[in-house]
Amino acid sequence: MSDPAAHTQLVPPSSVVLVSGGSRGLGLAIVTDLLESGVKVAAFARTVTPELAKLADAHPDRSHVGSVDVTDLAAAQAFVRAAEERLGPIDGVVNNAAVGQDSLHVHTATADIARIIETNLTAPLQLTRLTVRRMLAQGLRGRIVNITSICAQRGFPGLVAYSATKGGMDAATRSLARELGGRVLVNAVAPGFFASEMSAVLGQTQLDQIVRRTPTGHLTEPEEVVPVVRMLLREQTNINGQVIVVDGAASI
Amino acid sequence: MKELSRAQIRDLMGEVLKNQGKVLPDDDAADLREVGFRSLDFSELALRVEDETGEELNFDAPGLRRIATVGDVLDFLVELQRQ
Ligand SMILES: NC(=O)c1ccc[n+]([C@@H]2O[C@H](COP(=O)([O-])OP(=O)(O)OC[C@H]3O[C@@H](n4cnc5c(N)ncnc54)[C@H](OP(=O)(O)O)[C@@H]3O)[C@@H](O)[C@H]2O)c1
Repeated sequence: MSDPAAHTQLVPPSSVVLVSGGSRGLGLAIVTDLLESGVKVAAFARTVTPELAKLADAHPDRSHVGSVDVTDLAAAQAFVRAAEERLGPIDGVVNNAAVGQDSLHVHTATADIARIIETNLTAPLQLTRLTVRRMLAQGLRGRIVNITSICAQRGFPGLVAYSATKGGMDAATRSLARELGGRVLVNAVAPGFFASEMSAVLGQTQLDQIVRRTPTGHLTEPEEVVPVVRMLLREQTNINGQVIVVDGAASI
Repeated sequence: MKELSRAQIRDLMGEVLKNQGKVLPDDDAADLREVGFRSLDFSELALRVEDETGEELNFDAPGLRRIATVGDVLDFLVELQRQ
């Protein structure tokens, strides 16, 4: 720390963070938390919910929200530009938007497999490319947090394509961290199952089974994931290229 | 589109079970757990129906969770063909 050359290598806390899928569930919790922490936030989803609109109204100078489909690269690009004009250069990204699945692989329509991969894997890779290009071009350092899932590491029936996309993002996290040489810190947070629109398809028997297998005795709450995301975006740690599991040890 | 009748699906279900040395009871109210008809057997049956009709039958898992009896299986597949 005393070496000034080494000090300049540190990645500062992100001050303008882009959150995909910030309209509800975990994404909304992340947006809320970052705004409460004084960070500027640009958030989008296909539909801006009243909850997200209300947050934006409460923080007009520090937020920018919009309706964007993450698979529409041109729309994402336009949103990023507009957000930067309003809030300043983006130096943090949370790839949170995703669609779930609850169908056996052999009975999943081929179009649905393509949509899951496009939304959960191709789109975050494109959004990451787009934002990292801007960071590098502006001489910025930054941080990326990919929201993946325990499904990337453990098998769950009915989630084959979804798991493949989350495993893909875990793998991309490691390679991108190497590729960006510490100038951009890239990590993933892999939650266990939590209650949201995405997991609403799970039956009560399945939820009970997950809870029974969880040493901490409860499903993960979005509020328990949020501090980990904030730490990766804001704290000075040397964590890079890692996948942090937040699941009460259900998977160990 | 070719559609299989309830009786034809019942015959196919009987074949799936027969291949495993199991018997399909006549009673539609028979419990699938007692019959020994598991979710992968359901997949096999759905794929056999697909083979006969030439149409893919895709569906989500939550629908499957409500299936408990032989009659539920037949109703589900008859209904699925119509969607
Ligand atoms: N719930 C769980 O049990 C669980 C467990 C582990 C990991 N995760 C992960 O946690 C993250 C958040 O999940 P959640 O449970 O909070 O899900 P959720 O409640 O369904 O929220 C998903 C968010 O993504 C947005 N989104 C979906 N498709 C989009 C698209 N094409 N373009 C733009 N935005 C899109 C949704 O808004 P619109 O639909 O309006 O676009 C919404 O804001 C996801 O990455 C998920 O894979 C969830």
